[in-house]
Amino acid sequence: MNQHLEIRNFLIQALEANSEEKSIQWLKQKAQKIQESNSSTPLFLAFSQASRFFSKDLLILSEQEKIQVDQLVSAFEPAHWNRLQAARSFLLLNLPQEKESWFSAMNQLFETADMHEQHALFAALPILPFQEDLLTRAIDGCRTNMTLIFDAVALNNPYPASYFPEANWNQLVLKAVFMQRPLYRIQGLEERRNSALAEIASDFAHERWAAGRNVMPELWRLVAPFMNDQYLADLEKVLNSTDDLELAGGVLTLYESDFAPAKALLADYPDLLAQVESGQITWQKIGKEYQDSRV
Amino acid sequence: MAKYIDPHIHLVSRTTDDYEAMQKAGIVATIEPAFWLGQPRTEVGSFKDYFSTLVGWERFRASQFGIVHYCTMGLNSKEANNIALAEQVMELLPLYVGKEGVVAIGEIGYDDQTEAEDRFYREQLELAKDVDLPVLIHTPHRDKKKGTYRSMDVAEEHGMDPGWVIVDHNNEETVKEVLDRGYWAGFTIYPHTKMGSERMVEIVKQYGPERIIVNSAADWGISDPLAVPKTADLMRKMGIPEEHVELVTYRNALTAFSLSGQMDENDWLSAPPIDQTKKLGGNSVLRGGQVPRVEGPSDRVEN
Repeated sequence: MNQHLEIRNFLIQALEANSEEKSIQWLKQKAQKIQESNSSTPLFLAFSQASRFFSKDLLILSEQEKIQVDQLVSAFEPAHWNRLQAARSFLLLNLPQEKESWFSAMNQLFETADMHEQHALFAALPILPFQEDLLTRAIDGCRTNMTLIFDAVALNNPYPASYFPEANWNQLVLKAVFMQRPLYRIQGLEERRNSALAEIASDFAHERWAAGRNVMPELWRLVAPFMNDQYLADLEKVLNSTDDLELAGGVLTLYESDFAPAKALLADYPDLLAQVESGQITWQKIGKEYQDSRV
Repeated sequence: MAKYIDPHIHLVSRTTDDYEAMQKAGIVATIEPAFWLGQPRTEVGSFKDYFSTLVGWERFRASQFGIVHYCTMGLNSKEANNIALAEQVMELLPLYVGKEGVVAIGEIGYDDQTEAEDRFYREQLELAKDVDLPVLIHTPHRDKKKGTYRSMDVAEEHGMDPGWVIVDHNNEETVKEVLDRGYWAGFTIYPHTKMGSERMVEIVKQYGPERIIVNSAADWGISDPLAVPKTADLMRKMGIPEEHVELVTYRNALTAFSLSGQMDENDWLSAPPIDQTKKLGGNSVLRGGQVPRVEGPSDRVEN
């Protein structure tokens, strides 16, 4: 069985456990129509009308389903999806995979999509056929100012880390910082850290400080592997903060760095260091708490 | 506090000051009919991006100010006269009419009452029937009375139920016929011309509140996005009972446009409180350093 067929089956099964019988019947009927039609119209209509049959409540997956889907597409996380976008993604996977007509239909969908339709389209990137040819589209998606759509590309989506060239990747991460989005939800963040991004992050912090504003603590995660005297001076400033989260982020950055002076500075924060070592301070916890209490 | 719906307003032309003032005045929901932009469009792509804006960016923008945004989709009567373009727009419309928050086909009807306008008006009445949406009729500003009657005649010829049709931009000359024939009668309050709030009060006194709907039609011309709440205030001052005020500035619009199945009072009654920090992430309508508006207790955002 090919991968798209397996994902399609996974989505419909997940939806069956989460939706009304008549909605599932409607969905299956439309899928059949999309498969059999020579025109894109059945897809366009069903893609819009799905909002009449599926809610924007979270798609609830069992632990076993989460493991199963991760084996299908590595790092694909539909547990963050809502039912409507799962239904829309299911419809997309029924479109016959003739490259030319497939792109013509998909371009029309992207160009005429409303906010929630765009949300579904961008989040579905990692499961779409011909996904390598959707790079320009994905980069364009990051130019949005609608948080919902930016999140669809940037958060819990393996696509950018797999496909974005470094410059676009760095823009995505910086924009996430700028929009105060949770960095820990960007997949591949750690692996795709780079020295240019560390420099951008430090420059960004200086700009904010010049404006008398603070910087999100998750930012320093980008700097950790590239620690030098300049970044260490930034960290010293962070560690002078009275904000618990900034302190936690600062100490975790020092801890992750191999730079000897950074290690030396760590000695001044024994309590926080102990919390890092015991797993009480992690980037995920910092990011979560920042979102809950500071944004 | 009283709640209002402005069921006809062209928000793409309005500022964030307007949105803030509208929200403060009690407007909870708005309907933005697809219309012309002053500058005639020459490419079908301009329509496509405009329609996408109505269901995308403008809806998002409104939500930042605590206002639920709906729209109507259609080819307006003025631009129906560019037949080659109009034909392409008609091919585009099916892509949009089924989208979330599209509450009617409109505003359609007559402007100069040409043959081309008549053709595309009829085609769109058929489209409305196909997709089970109400119709919002724009009545012409010139030769209004005849144009209004003709709009209704043609709607009936196509088997439209008058209870599914909102005839807009009425005045003292057209209202009786429109109501007698069972249609919803929209009234646009303009600051200087057409209907003023005072005239509106007299109409409600004379005809009662049933099937009458007040709107601002505020756009890029001289117009007042607060026309609905201001008219409501004047009605109260002139002794019109509160339940009548509520009908013409809130409830009737809701009843008529919710026939679409795309508009529900819960959309605003159970909406989460406005939080510009969450939704905007600090850079869409807020510029660097501005303090976002947050309802309820929350820390000041520093980043």
